[in-house]
Amino acid sequence: MKRVEDLTAQCIRCGFCLEDCPTFTETGSELESPRGRIYLVRSAVEGKLRWQEDVKPHLDRCLGCRACETACPSGVQYGAILEFARDKIEQEKPSALKKGFLAGTTSPTILRTQLNLARLLPGKRVPGPLSKLLSGETAEADLPTLPTALKGDPLAGMDQASLPAVKGEVYLLEGCAMRVLYPHVHWATRRLLRRIGYVVREVPQGCCGALHAHNGYLDEAKKMGNSLVQTLSGDLPIVVNSAGCGSTMKEYGHLLETEAGAEFAKRTFDLSEFLLQNGLQEELAKAKGLSQRITYHDACHLSHGQKITEAPRALLKSIPNAEYVELPESLTCCGSAGIYNVVQPKLARRLLNRKWKHVESTQATVVAMGNPGCHGWIAQASRETGGRIEVVHTAELLERAFSG
Amino acid sequence: MERSCRVAPIPGIVPEPDMKPYDPAAGITTLSQDLIRLLGEESVLAGQSAERAYDCDAYTVDRSRPAAVVLPNNTEEVAKVVRYCVKHSIPFTARGAGTGLSGGALPALGGVVISTKRLTKILEIDLPNRRMLAQTGIANKKLSDAVKHAGLHFAPDPSSQTVATLGGNIAENAGGPHTLKYGVTSNHVLGVTMVDPLGEIVTFGGKHFGGPEFDFVGLICGSEGTLGIVTEAWIKLTPLPKVVRTALASFDTIRGATETVAGIIAKGTIPAALEMMDSGILKAVSAAFGVTYPVGTQALLLIECDGDDVATVEAEMQAVREVCQSNNCLDIAMAETEADRAKLWTARKKGVGAMGRLAPSIVTHDGVIPRSKLPEMLDFVYRVAADAKVGVANIFHAGDGNLHPCFYFDDRDPEQVKNVVEAGEAIIRKCLDLGGSVTGEHGVGVEKIDLMPLMFSEADLRMQGKAKAIFNDGTLCNPCKILPNQKSCVEHKMRWRGMAW
Repeated sequence: MKRVEDLTAQCIRCGFCLEDCPTFTETGSELESPRGRIYLVRSAVEGKLRWQEDVKPHLDRCLGCRACETACPSGVQYGAILEFARDKIEQEKPSALKKGFLAGTTSPTILRTQLNLARLLPGKRVPGPLSKLLSGETAEADLPTLPTALKGDPLAGMDQASLPAVKGEVYLLEGCAMRVLYPHVHWATRRLLRRIGYVVREVPQGCCGALHAHNGYLDEAKKMGNSLVQTLSGDLPIVVNSAGCGSTMKEYGHLLETEAGAEFAKRTFDLSEFLLQNGLQEELAKAKGLSQRITYHDACHLSHGQKITEAPRALLKSIPNAEYVELPESLTCCGSAGIYNVVQPKLARRLLNRKWKHVESTQATVVAMGNPGCHGWIAQASRETGGRIEVVHTAELLERAFSG
Repeated sequence: MERSCRVAPIPGIVPEPDMKPYDPAAGITTLSQDLIRLLGEESVLAGQSAERAYDCDAYTVDRSRPAAVVLPNNTEEVAKVVRYCVKHSIPFTARGAGTGLSGGALPALGGVVISTKRLTKILEIDLPNRRMLAQTGIANKKLSDAVKHAGLHFAPDPSSQTVATLGGNIAENAGGPHTLKYGVTSNHVLGVTMVDPLGEIVTFGGKHFGGPEFDFVGLICGSEGTLGIVTEAWIKLTPLPKVVRTALASFDTIRGATETVAGIIAKGTIPAALEMMDSGILKAVSAAFGVTYPVGTQALLLIECDGDDVATVEAEMQAVREVCQSNNCLDIAMAETEADRAKLWTARKKGVGAMGRLAPSIVTHDGVIPRSKLPEMLDFVYRVAADAKVGVANIFHAGDGNLHPCFYFDDRDPEQVKNVVEAGEAIIRKCLDLGGSVTGEHGVGVEKIDLMPLMFSEADLRMQGKAKAIFNDGTLCNPCKILPNQKSCVEHKMRWRGMAW
């Protein structure tokens, strides 16, 4: 791993990141800007500032969206600096509550149980006392509702005659929250993969560790990463339909500091890039299509973390009969940002309002995206405004173009 | 050699009270609470983290901590803070995006930093009369984005325009690549609303140029925040040219490129922009933006011609091409699409920002020389950098003779900092020897304050001091900037430098 001293020294303070940082443009404060935060971390590393009192509040308010990395001409690895600093802060003074919350969110069993129990609670938001403890603010995020379980073979009912022969196998990252909250996205993903000649090799698997890495638990993240590298071994491509996970897995070389991690990273693909590279556009040309006006929101860990912006657009634009419109400020974070909408509800809400205003301005009937965090949060905005615009994962929309 | 004021303070420029740094411990103990009472908790930043984050702008050699930072939401709030500071003798300094390159937003004596970053609204767009009223914390490029649909733009385009604010542009009278044809900020500002150094809200100029009064707007543009804090401005909107041709010419010698620049201008052609990048910057720029050029390239010229009719623009470009060829250029590549053109300009405008790939710190110098002296001057720049043992890259507005030698170094090493400062001074002295200026567009700030007497006589400086005193005869509003008149300047400088990492 590169030394944090060197990572922070790469910032020459030109300030070109400022207007791309959502928390800076919302607050106007350089303490909530990439340049400011890098300077604070650098100063704390040099012993000139205190981690907890001076630095933590401002890193807490960082979305980790990494829009600054896209803007930075000097190639500063802000994400790596943030992970280092949050780990330093958590390890120095661990927050049992945050750790517990993370553990609950990243274990499918606990998450399922919690959500079942939560149905018994009054209100639809994250419980007030919990929110107060985590953020000191009133909750903004609705509790997710458990979807109806999907049973049976995802590939059932596909028109065998129109399908290409099976070319090979891939792994599919099932994820922790993803498999509990969005099983139908996995369902659509498996069908899309089959449409380009790939089937999923099913293996029991754990969490990728992304939320831990982003929130100050690098050791746990490493454990989870190492275990995933072993589970998804061999040379099969690994397809990921959740941007946050994919982004971390593509950085396993840096996180795990092993050859195996670096090798694993090379065969990790976001679903959109894998589908595009393997001919889904040609298949889409033969599909029924959709009469919808579609727009697309860039999940930060896809656009800034993985530099993927064109693949999902190319696919969506290939849906027959659909109209594609660009979303203004599509590259700006929606405020979901992992667990940000739970730990920083106020700022997260402002960003959601900003995002939703733009979504409405497109007059689209459906907005697609490639990450569960954004999906849940933006869907909440849709519900709150009457649900006229549908919020979906890119995979769901693409699959619908075939099966209606 | 100890860095110090080269001349004794010049008496009589402004009244001579002691210029003491504001000491929060000895000063008013309720500063941040008072400010919170005035503006609300959400608009005040204090404490060690704020002191650090706001201790310098993009000129990082000198640093000085503010006692507090405020983020007012309107002009009235700015005035409230200024009046409070005046009442309690607390220095105050305005700050936009903090992208300045001469320390103009450095809170040189501490005190309160007044940020314009919550004043980011466009208040009125008057398309038929091609003008706009905007708050000054808005980023320059957002002004142009807002009227692009109508074929208009705000012409000043400093390289930092994606972030640099309108207020900062006014304070520094910012230029940019297209200054060559379209002029600097003061040519595009019609009127301003300003909070003066006593906290009064005043307006100058109006919605159009050329009133019967003295041109106070012209004086305010480029005054580096020493005459007050401009919070709103009427700006002129300029039609976007209908035809634009952009070329990238590569040369295997620096001389080839600099002779070409001198040649183009001598021929009477005025391109819209004529920018030069040398091999030093190309290392960073090609890594950051994927700009490609022939093997053996030592210098690139980015040349843009624009206008409203194809024939004229093509003829200009042909003239440019001939000069390039007569100077043995390796290649001239035309930007074929708008995307190609945008990529070239991104590389040029963010080029200095990419220097972090080469070293932890940079100082981008700013001097002006007659264009005919470019070849001689660049030879000198390389020699000075070699002698000082620091890296140098050049990326600059060659067309108007505005140099930006960019030194890259490690500011954690005091020896290197000292060498960089001295090398910079040597370059500015040379600019003056060649008949140029100490600054083209980055301003004097704290960086060049010692060098002003090299360019101006005592009488010149006194006259400038009188002009300043019309608005500001005190020492609270952005002190220690532009004019080398303050007592204790030597001690201040040592203090600022001592703050460096």
